[in-house]
Amino acid sequence: ILVIKCCLFQGGLADADTIFALSSGYGRCGVAVVRVSGPASATALRSMAGHRLPPPRTALLRSITDPLSGEMLDRGLVLWFPAPHSFTGEDSVEFHIHGGPAVITAVLQALGSVPGTRPAEAGEFTRRAFQAGKLDLTEVEGLGDLIHAETEAQRRQALRQMSGELGHIYRDWSHKLKRCLAHIEAFIDFSEDELIEDGVLDQADRSVCDLQSQIEQHLRDERRGERLRSGVHVVIAGATNAGKSSLLNTLCQRPAAIVSPIAGTTRDIVETAVDIGGFPVLLSDTAGLRESADLVEQEGVRRARERVQQADLTLLVVDSTCLPSDVQRAAGFLSEHLRNMCLLVLNKSDLLPETQRQKLKMELRGVSGLPAVCLLSCQTNEGLKDFLTVLQSSVKTLCGDPLAGAPTLTQARHRAHLQQCVAALSQFQRYRDSDLALAAEGVRLALTSLGRITGRVGAEEILDIIFKDFCIGK
Amino acid sequence: MLTKKLQPVQSFLSLVSRSVGHFPRQHYDVIVVGGGHAGTEAAAAAARLGAETLLITQKIHTIGALSCNPSLGGVGKGHLVREVDALDGLCGRAGDWAGISFSILNRRKGPAVWGPRAQLDRQRYREFMQSELLSTPRLTVMEGSVEELLVTDPNPEQPGQHRVNGICLANSSHPISASSVVLTTGTFLSGSLFIGQTTSPGGRIGDAPSSAGLSHTLRERLGLKVGRLRTGTPPRIVKDSVDLSLATLNPPDSSPTPFSFMNTHTRCRPEEQLPCYLTYTTPGVERVVRESLHLNCHIQQDAKGPRYCPSIESRVLRFPGRRHQVWLEPEGLTSDLLYPQGLSMTMPPDVQLRLIREIPPLHKAEIHMPGYGVQYDFVCPTQLSPSLQVKSTQGLFLAGQINGTTGYEEAAAQGLWAGVNAGRRALSKPPVALSRTESYIGVLIDDLVSRGVTEPYRMFTSRAEFRTSLRPDNADLRLTLKGFELGCVSSSRHQKAVRVKNSLQDALAALQALSLSTTSWKRKIPDVHVSEANSNMLSGIEMLQYKDVSFQVLASIFPEVLLPFMEFSQRLKIEAVYRPHCESNKREIQRIQEEENMSLPEDIDYLSLPVSLSQEVREVLHRARPSTLGAATRLEGITPAAVVNLFNYVCFAEKRKKTSHGNQRRQKEGREEELCASLPQ
Repeated sequence: ILVIKCCLFQGGLADADTIFALSSGYGRCGVAVVRVSGPASATALRSMAGHRLPPPRTALLRSITDPLSGEMLDRGLVLWFPAPHSFTGEDSVEFHIHGGPAVITAVLQALGSVPGTRPAEAGEFTRRAFQAGKLDLTEVEGLGDLIHAETEAQRRQALRQMSGELGHIYRDWSHKLKRCLAHIEAFIDFSEDELIEDGVLDQADRSVCDLQSQIEQHLRDERRGERLRSGVHVVIAGATNAGKSSLLNTLCQRPAAIVSPIAGTTRDIVETAVDIGGFPVLLSDTAGLRESADLVEQEGVRRARERVQQADLTLLVVDSTCLPSDVQRAAGFLSEHLRNMCLLVLNKSDLLPETQRQKLKMELRGVSGLPAVCLLSCQTNEGLKDFLTVLQSSVKTLCGDPLAGAPTLTQARHRAHLQQCVAALSQFQRYRDSDLALAAEGVRLALTSLGRITGRVGAEEILDIIFKDFCIGK
Repeated sequence: MLTKKLQPVQSFLSLVSRSVGHFPRQHYDVIVVGGGHAGTEAAAAAARLGAETLLITQKIHTIGALSCNPSLGGVGKGHLVREVDALDGLCGRAGDWAGISFSILNRRKGPAVWGPRAQLDRQRYREFMQSELLSTPRLTVMEGSVEELLVTDPNPEQPGQHRVNGICLANSSHPISASSVVLTTGTFLSGSLFIGQTTSPGGRIGDAPSSAGLSHTLRERLGLKVGRLRTGTPPRIVKDSVDLSLATLNPPDSSPTPFSFMNTHTRCRPEEQLPCYLTYTTPGVERVVRESLHLNCHIQQDAKGPRYCPSIESRVLRFPGRRHQVWLEPEGLTSDLLYPQGLSMTMPPDVQLRLIREIPPLHKAEIHMPGYGVQYDFVCPTQLSPSLQVKSTQGLFLAGQINGTTGYEEAAAQGLWAGVNAGRRALSKPPVALSRTESYIGVLIDDLVSRGVTEPYRMFTSRAEFRTSLRPDNADLRLTLKGFELGCVSSSRHQKAVRVKNSLQDALAALQALSLSTTSWKRKIPDVHVSEANSNMLSGIEMLQYKDVSFQVLASIFPEVLLPFMEFSQRLKIEAVYRPHCESNKREIQRIQEEENMSLPEDIDYLSLPVSLSQEVREVLHRARPSTLGAATRLEGITPAAVVNLFNYVCFAEKRKKTSHGNQRRQKEGREEELCASLPQ
């Protein structure tokens, strides 16, 4: 009933969907503009940037928060354009936010959780503007080309994704859902006259249940999105006095951690947020790993180990002057504790003679089971550039590369459609016993939502499955 | 309605046959060719609209004949019957008159997919149809066979390459002219009948084949693309020879529900109804089919048959080793025949007898008339506009099996709509279309004209995107008022629909106003589990959404407010439950309707249109010639960019037209001003 009331409320409130999209270009940029248009724009603005609407067409600096969790996503400018004085002629809102992919994705995902909103289709803003008579002829003539370009980009993007593992998963769901719908439709359209086995519906029940939990699981498991929101967790770990805190300070370019020649200086975890290649990274410095009688240091080591377990990427720092014996320890440490991605940092390279540096580089590259190795000196910054390149590419892999077609944005769209899909499947469950037509409607809606990712499914396709699976003929 | 006496058919027959020799008119507004399910609805609808209409059929006494199964309605098909009735068509009322066994199929699956269905008495159905048609004002019924269409040059002000403005009868030198001609030739267009290895020309056993001239004109003269389909019918079985004790009895509903919104009860009394019987095929049936394949011409042909209503031969061949259902249906109250639904077959008669005797209740059965197959020409329906007029030919409308459909209800629905548009054309009114967002008729016609058919097309509820809104219970609200505006609905039906609509609105408003807290509702209806989580107020509508709360229950609590609406209790319950879903459909429906309202000019030349379109898209549009932007978006291969470009073209083409008119007017006014100025003061 609650859901029904929500629907009624929305239905009464909104004549058209409210759409949102990133209006500035993809990739790294200083400021990104996210546009919202439609009747729920004001709701979106209120729930994300304070309850009072700003005066029309005036830029205001506000905290932008997630409407569900209340978590702050960014501080940025918001603008409110009440209808009809907006680009689309509808109520519109613009968020001018920081241009990192993490912030953009977070804001888009937050918008997706506002009732009545959905990601815009290609060219939809312009189309609405055109329908409202806001564009002149020359502007309109470019519209087709613009949409063509956008749909092309989406198509290429979709192709890239669809050939991957994710595409495989989506296709599999779509296939299962189609069969499931076909069997329910067969039961509705034919079971009164034909031999449709009773088991057909039970099978559909099971499929819907399975799919629902699979998609929910998928939505929960999608660590990438979270990484982008809170940053990639990078943990610096290693033996005492290897130069972990120095590395932290080098990376954040300020003395965030106390550095001293005394082993065991760092006892608790030192966290700092840094930007690496445009991606947010949460960098943690940890206590040096060693056996200690000191209770405080013991606790520090325990926390360090725990943090290493949770890290997205571990930077294992080793004092290169302590090699080779340290290499063994490092390898042991690796196999024992590190399951995540890891980079091996050999610090204090300035203390090694040139010949040994070269030898070390060559030797370690050949050792199997060892992660990427970077030789550097936090003292002289020698090798730092190479290290940063390696680090950046690792972080990029963890987040997805926005320049390669903004998968994070596509991801936000997919996420919205998958959430709709799951919600629609629960409609099936709700009406399964009382009204099969309404239950089937849930599966149809689910398939439509999924179809926005995998491609539309028409009635003929469903009928084809029905006639393939059942002998229908009276 | 049902207590009325049917007009004595015989006297009309004499009246009509008198007019056959020297018919009073040489011109009609509308001529309908064919007296089947499409033809009868078309003729009646055109006449209701106010058009002088002529129905030409081979034999008046076969008007309203049920060539195949003695039943009407079902899941999806029942929706069509209700919609035809809501537009004041005949088949719903005929079903109520002739039905001898009523049931609502899918009763437990939700009101959106309920399938009103009835077994019919063949005799009574014919009686009703003939009586109704012969007493319809402005409608003349004539026996005859159409030899030719009168084809002339098109009216240059309308799109199209040809114009049909009448017909020529066989054995007559007098052509009859008409503004519109509706062809509803069913299976008679180049029809051939198949039994075993023999083939003979014809569309139905016992009737003369239609003339080859018509088929030739459509193909050669009008250049229409024609395809071939096949269908079939089972043998009729002598009832006394069947051992019904070996079959399962399937009783009808104890209280019959009429098809028509105008009827409160059916002619057949509940206790008079006859049951159907269910039985199954045996391995012996499969054996006989396989042994006789070489004697079976029809099954070896490659004309496309329906996948969902296949012959017993195709069923056995496609799904071997299974048992298949066979329904034994009564053919009428007094008929001594049974109709074995599911046993359509085309093998030689002696093999047919062997086959049916493999089925236990039929082990001693006698065949009254063998089953047979029919192959016939159909006109690819993508050549039609949504008004069911042939796009290339002004004044020519097609409806029914000629468009590649199967089923009485599908034919009736198209017939009615073709009749409405044929009548409108004759009365110089623009064509009208029904949207797939408002009716199953709209879904049917849109599917036909925008996608075409590859096999005989039958209606299923799964074809309707907005199934929860297009229900059998609300067909009157969806269509009757609209039909009245179009002129095809009588004022008595219109008044009734208006009263129903207002009462439902009042009742829903009253229910909405009954707002109580959950605790109060719990006190009033203790048996129902009202969700505790909902601490706020609940309206009567929301209470009605609960599975176990009926309108009667609410009316007993608030008698003074709700008792006046008791006659609508079932409809109100359905409205309440479906309301939220229909609301959420609304937006999508609106979007589609906006696109459908944007019509693409029929004479648009896509190959040279000065708009940025790819060659591929141009060819798709050129082939399909969608009539609206909405239809264009549903075509395969049409990109969003192409839709926007088309959209721009249409909008700006209209704007340009308007401004150029405006300019002309301004220029003219300007000249007049100059003129005035130059006049001596």
